[in-house]
Amino acid sequence: MPSLPEIQSSFAAALRGSPASMAEDINADGLEPTDRLRIYQNNSRAMFDGALERSYPVLRRRVGDEYFQRLAHEYRARHPSRSADLHWVGQHFPDYLADTQAGTPYEWLAELAALEWACETSLVAESRPSLDLASLATLDQQAIGQAGLELQPSLRCVPSSVPILDVWRANQPDGDGQPVDLSKGPQHILVSCGAAGLELREVPAPALEFIRLLQAGANLGDALDASDLPAESLVEVLGLLFKADLVTGLRPLPEQAA
Amino acid sequence: MSSTAEANSSGPVLAGAGIGLRSAHHQALLRERPRVGWIEVHTENYFHDGGPHLRELDRAREDYPLSLHGVGMGLGSSEPLDRDHIARVKRAIDRFRPSLVSEHACWTCHDGEHFNDLLPLPYTDEAATHLARRIAQVQDLLGRQILIENLSCYLSFRSSRLTEWEFLGAVVERAGCGLLLDVNNAYVNSVNVGLDAVAFINGLPTAAVGEIHLAGHARQIVNGREILLDDHGSQVPEPVWDLYELALRRHGPIPTLIEWDTHLPELSVLVGEANRAQRYLEAAHALAA
Repeated sequence: MPSLPEIQSSFAAALRGSPASMAEDINADGLEPTDRLRIYQNNSRAMFDGALERSYPVLRRRVGDEYFQRLAHEYRARHPSRSADLHWVGQHFPDYLADTQAGTPYEWLAELAALEWACETSLVAESRPSLDLASLATLDQQAIGQAGLELQPSLRCVPSSVPILDVWRANQPDGDGQPVDLSKGPQHILVSCGAAGLELREVPAPALEFIRLLQAGANLGDALDASDLPAESLVEVLGLLFKADLVTGLRPLPEQAA
Repeated sequence: MSSTAEANSSGPVLAGAGIGLRSAHHQALLRERPRVGWIEVHTENYFHDGGPHLRELDRAREDYPLSLHGVGMGLGSSEPLDRDHIARVKRAIDRFRPSLVSEHACWTCHDGEHFNDLLPLPYTDEAATHLARRIAQVQDLLGRQILIENLSCYLSFRSSRLTEWEFLGAVVERAGCGLLLDVNNAYVNSVNVGLDAVAFINGLPTAAVGEIHLAGHARQIVNGREILLDDHGSQVPEPVWDLYELALRRHGPIPTLIEWDTHLPELSVLVGEANRAQRYLEAAHALAA
């Protein structure tokens, strides 16, 4: 009699496409064992595909069900689910598309997937109490460039070479679904999740890079230098962050850290 | 586990009929506050750090006792227990203070790959021992008893040496766990693999049965043979109601949940099903009095 690990090993092989490995240990009872195993194959695939569809509804609408299912099938072969939590099934999908669509007219799909995954993870991130702009006044204004900002865990910075926000909006349930002229140029998106739900904001490229650097731990001065954000735009960008309740803390100045 | 911690992580004793709560019904539940005994959610949907669904369940929990029903622990798998997954279940328990916590008598993964389905175990002494040992470990880690649900099956193993009810009885005895009796699964198995559903229900240890599930299924013809798919996508069929009545006569008025996960109807339809289950429970109470 096969052991439990042997049974599960054969069953897994059957689910991956070799049902004959398992057939001998299954009672037929009016249906071929391979047909019985196929029900489990179909269930497992449906669960995987369903999870991917829920994470990437815009991409699915944009490419159509048939093509999306083909992508899902190929993606699953490369990136089988490694978690009991179905929400993570699609975490490698943007990278898979970047790899497989590179050099084709559809390479921008990877950027759409990156935006959708940013939305997916932003929506379930922790929400922390926010600071208001007045809190900046508590810092030594001479050394404010050395201060850092703690930002909401839900914040995601998504650069794109195409008008990705326009595509996302057009393919929402209430969107018209019409193709967007991708030659219109890049859009750079801040994604966050507030009390009212998901928020997507287009910002200039230097602003996105500035915020990304802050998020990575850079202080205000270093982020300004490295991002090419014009100094005259700093107040506007900081105002956006505070007004949108995206700032949750100030990192102390070096002399205050002791 | 300290009595304080135990008290903090447990909700009130469940009674009556409840509904499985899906995120699509969150707003309707909070707005309409239907009269149902309790609610149940899939634990893995509340593993995250934040977001609207967690906040909505927090609000729902203020008005309804809660059961957490997991689908991903893979207690029968041969892979090591996923300690991170168990820690997330513990975090959900600590946050939502459920009255019941349950999982399935199944395996889910092999060689690091998760199939995201509830896969069947052979009914052998080896499998019962393996499953019971892992259930006991999880109960120690969670600091509480869990219920184990009988599975719907599309195949049976030649290597099985026990009946399904003997298998579950052995698991209960060895692990000290409870049972979640899914009456729809028993009916589905009676068609798919020839289970004697009446003998199954009568053969389970009454003291262990802590919850009952009722759900709908779909009929399919596969190469000329009828197969029932456990899709939780319709009203509870009449044969399942009949088996449910038998289960209540055998095991008493057990808290009962209406499961509906696909092709979701309006919340009022779900509540209507729970109301029907409630009438059966009240009749069972009257008989027991």
